[in-house]
Amino acid sequence: MRRPSSILFGPEDRPPPAVTFVSGLQQVGLMSMYLLYPALIAKAANAPPEAASAMVSLTLVALAIGAILQVIPMGPFGSGQLCHPVPSIVYFVPSLLAAKTGGLPLVLGMTILAGLLEMGLSRALRRLRPVFPPEIVGIVILLVGIASGMVGLRIAFGDVQTGAISRVELVIGMVTLALMVGLNIWGKGAWRIACVLVGMVAGYAASVAFGTLSPTDLAAIGHAEVFAFPKFGGFSWSFDMAMAIPFAVAAVAATLKAIGNITTLQKANDADWVRADMPQVSRGVLADGLGTVISGVLGGQGLNSGTPGVGLAAATGVLSRRVVYPIAVILFLLAFLPKLGALFYLMPRMVAGAALIFAASFIIVNGIQVMTSRLLDSRKTLLIGMALMAGLVVDAQPQILRLLPEQWQPVLGTSLVLGTVIALALNLIFRMGMRRTVSLTVPLGPIDSDRIEQFLRESGEAWGARADVIERAKFNLVQSIETIVEGCDPEDALEVEATFDEFYLDIRVSYRGPLLELPDRRPTNEEIMETEEGHRRLAGFMLRRFADRVSSTYRSGRSTVTFHFDH
Amino acid sequence: MTLEEQKAGSVTILEVAGRIDSASSPSLHERVGALIAQGSMPLLLDLGKVEYISSAGFRVLLLLARQAGKAGGRFALCALTPKVKQLFDLGGFLDLLPIANTREEGIAEAQ
Repeated sequence: MRRPSSILFGPEDRPPPAVTFVSGLQQVGLMSMYLLYPALIAKAANAPPEAASAMVSLTLVALAIGAILQVIPMGPFGSGQLCHPVPSIVYFVPSLLAAKTGGLPLVLGMTILAGLLEMGLSRALRRLRPVFPPEIVGIVILLVGIASGMVGLRIAFGDVQTGAISRVELVIGMVTLALMVGLNIWGKGAWRIACVLVGMVAGYAASVAFGTLSPTDLAAIGHAEVFAFPKFGGFSWSFDMAMAIPFAVAAVAATLKAIGNITTLQKANDADWVRADMPQVSRGVLADGLGTVISGVLGGQGLNSGTPGVGLAAATGVLSRRVVYPIAVILFLLAFLPKLGALFYLMPRMVAGAALIFAASFIIVNGIQVMTSRLLDSRKTLLIGMALMAGLVVDAQPQILRLLPEQWQPVLGTSLVLGTVIALALNLIFRMGMRRTVSLTVPLGPIDSDRIEQFLRESGEAWGARADVIERAKFNLVQSIETIVEGCDPEDALEVEATFDEFYLDIRVSYRGPLLELPDRRPTNEEIMETEEGHRRLAGFMLRRFADRVSSTYRSGRSTVTFHFDH
Repeated sequence: MTLEEQKAGSVTILEVAGRIDSASSPSLHERVGALIAQGSMPLLLDLGKVEYISSAGFRVLLLLARQAGKAGGRFALCALTPKVKQLFDLGGFLDLLPIANTREEGIAEAQ
């Protein structure tokens, strides 16, 4: 592993205390706009301002715990990367739905279920890679961005429920958005980093000055306590099967986003990065899901690793996991300030709308980048196009949804759910015929290594397989044939079969004879030098370590050894 | 596999090229073993042109290192390509044998 010159402090490094604190403060500042989500969810549930304030405080407590869980590895939890959670936009849209139909208890109950699902998914990530290729990850992120942007537009410009907007509100909204955009594009240093915060503060100030934030609203903020312990246990939890699909899709989206963020930081830390460290990713997704479960149990909103924070860490070069300590401490202290919750709850709608539109723009582009990160063949092109149309039709032509069976209409009736379900289904269908297999017979006698390597090299070129994967497969194939011929006394020729799919390469070697041993413990040097058995065990040990998975079977006198390589 | 013997001061350098597998490792064992027996040490094995090394090759390297140790001489390797270095790492041999990054470093350390 080689650290890029742009990285000032890697995960293991100990930056000076001032750098650690300022980095933590910036990360919390960047997170602040997401505290809008729990407040808006509470508002959608028609909860009183105190409940909204409590929800913001409890989300902050969960965020502090979730940040430590993610960044400081403990047992099976935590990636060890600086990708702490934020109140997530992926849970925001389904939470709004749940809030409207079953109030806050349904939001919290379904949040716990979604977190548990993400924890479950973390255990099967390697096997699920073909189900969640980058095209689907990108579509989900893009649809999340579009959905949140639509919410922002509706909040800002009003709909049937909220009524028309006044000219003053429109000007405040435009100025707020312009300030955020302007500082982000032309601002420097702290102004750029804090562009959303500055825009929101300016929007609030203008709302107070022009009277769109009423004296009653201001009084509610004034009445909120300056310091108070968060009210734990003031909520109940409920569950509804009709909400299962939107929250399951959100859990999948959260999983995909966590994978993306952890992988981004792995790449940022290592100039020689080739592929994701999946055990680390898996621990990170497990911690991400647990953070959401804890938030749901405490009374907060669903959490998910935040992309802007990852971007900030990569941009400043401060990736030290020590930064999480000031982050957790600041978040925890903010949880004891109810005025903060009240302030977010009473956010003027144009300010909230501007912040959502601003954030959605980045998420939309992030989705497009992920979607197009690989060469798009006709399969991927059709999948992306059709899934996007399915997602957009919900808002553009909702009457088409009436073609669906009546009981499915509410379940599939959001752009995120319908688009993701269609993308997943098309991916499974389009994968048909992708698997390609070639075979080779290796006769007994002197081993022609060049011919064996040529067989894999040419096949790999024809498939467009990655060179590093083919190199590893070549070693395993030649070494296994050498060991089998010399140590297993095969009765006749060896049969080799290589199966390639976009996501894996399987090499199967079968022969008539005893099974090749693939130990998971290295033999001692004495064993290797003194006995043929020790030498063969070394070969088996190396074969096991070079492949991502190995398996072997013995049936009716015929042995088959399979080496699996992720691609 | 081909072997080419060179001298740099008191250091005997054997440049190995090609594949060290079960077919070629006996001749490597024989040739290097004879040099150690003759006392041609310090001995540096330049593996910069090696494309592949199998478990049979690693076994021979262990045997040669033991033989050199018994003879009281220095036996080292140098110039591993990234691909071969990965195999050394995989088999747990990186810390077992003295390995220099380049031939020049190997000669300097051996002298």
